[in-house]
Amino acid sequence: MTASAAPSPLPIETPALVVGAGPVGLFQVFQLGLLDIPSHVVDALPHVGGQPVELYPDKPIYDVPGIPMCTGRELAEALLKQASPFKPGIHLSRTVESVERQADGRLLVGVSGGMRFLARTLFIAGGVGAFLPRTINLEGLPAFEGTQLFYRLEDAGDLAGRRVVVVGGGEEAIDMLDRICRATERNPGSAPAHLALVHRRDAFNASDEALERLRLLRAGGAVHFTAGMPTGIDTTDGLISSLQLLTPEGTPGTEPLDVLIIAQGLSPRLGPITQWGLAMERKQLVVDTEHFQTSEPGIFAVGDINTYPGKKKLLVCGFHECALAAYAAAPIVHPGRPVQLQYTTTSTRLHQLLGVPHPGRG
Amino acid sequence: MTHVVSEACIRCKYTDCVDVCPVDCFREGPNFLTIDPDECIDCAVCIPECPVSAIYAEEDLPKDQQHMTAINAELAKLPNWKSITKRKDPLPDHEEWKDRTGKLSELIR
Repeated sequence: MTASAAPSPLPIETPALVVGAGPVGLFQVFQLGLLDIPSHVVDALPHVGGQPVELYPDKPIYDVPGIPMCTGRELAEALLKQASPFKPGIHLSRTVESVERQADGRLLVGVSGGMRFLARTLFIAGGVGAFLPRTINLEGLPAFEGTQLFYRLEDAGDLAGRRVVVVGGGEEAIDMLDRICRATERNPGSAPAHLALVHRRDAFNASDEALERLRLLRAGGAVHFTAGMPTGIDTTDGLISSLQLLTPEGTPGTEPLDVLIIAQGLSPRLGPITQWGLAMERKQLVVDTEHFQTSEPGIFAVGDINTYPGKKKLLVCGFHECALAAYAAAPIVHPGRPVQLQYTTTSTRLHQLLGVPHPGRG
Repeated sequence: MTHVVSEACIRCKYTDCVDVCPVDCFREGPNFLTIDPDECIDCAVCIPECPVSAIYAEEDLPKDQQHMTAINAELAKLPNWKSITKRKDPLPDHEEWKDRTGKLSELIR
């Protein structure tokens, strides 16, 4: 458990907080819902679906029970729909930063952007970690994140009249340039003074379609290309004034800028989860196979992030873990209430929770 | 358990795998990448990234590649094999080598 400095807004109180909106996290929301446990879910990505959607959205998956074939994206959509009767609070583009046990046993969970949750139970469905933007390691650069350094266009604010440098050599960088140029077309007043793409050499790892878009943007003069590997930043009056480069010829270069956008895609990071003081084995959370609880009471781990004897990193195993973890959480959330095993085919109570009509006796 | 880079990587070194590793467990040699078995968490995310399908879960290694488990572990501990976390260009003659087998004698430590 790490202590967190208390930011001002009141925490959101919830019986359950699920960390990770991948397939397993979404099914955890559903299983909790069936046991009358409402939940919130946070994920680092700007969309639900986790690893299958981020890494291989269109690759077919053949081993989900009852679904002979679906893509990662279709699976995520179906799981989200399945969980929707329980109206989970879904908080995207947010990472968990701290977990702190309160005197009353609840967990105060600090999330990026100053958001906090006061949760009775916590479900870590973190997969291989949070998908975070790849950065470039330059001395002094991290201090400018949010002011001059950005990873998402939405965060960069008004680019009008500014010198914008996009760093990257793949699809993501081309998409970023495309979005900036399209915004300029819609609203010419928002045009940057200068828009440059920086990559170590004039070759890009992207689809033919994206390469063609880049060619057009460069040919039309909207995007200027500079070949060079970023090696440092120059600052003037406490602001970044330019990026220092090493050109392919081995000579130093500079690219002046007001705004730096790094568009090198995302990569999963196990990150702070390893620092919450939970028992781990080979960087995975150790759980018991009756409750899927970690070494901390009320903190459960499901899916690829946990380990136990015989663990297999399969969707079907993750889903099974969700069911048992939800049952294990029920006595914590509803103390004194008996936990009954009910079936969605017959239970009036479950039909109520799911918001579906209860079939009368035929 | 760990994941293991098989001989298919030798003299190609595409490095797509290193971009997705959540625990930075790849180490780079002159013409091969290896996985540090003490760091790998068996997440399997790297497997589909490799254009020549060089990476296997230890238990899934083909019979003729099982020697690579020990070689991966040994190479990962060599002081000149450094951590690699960002993709770079493959070796210049990767095209010529990518479909060849029995490349172990080509491995440079």
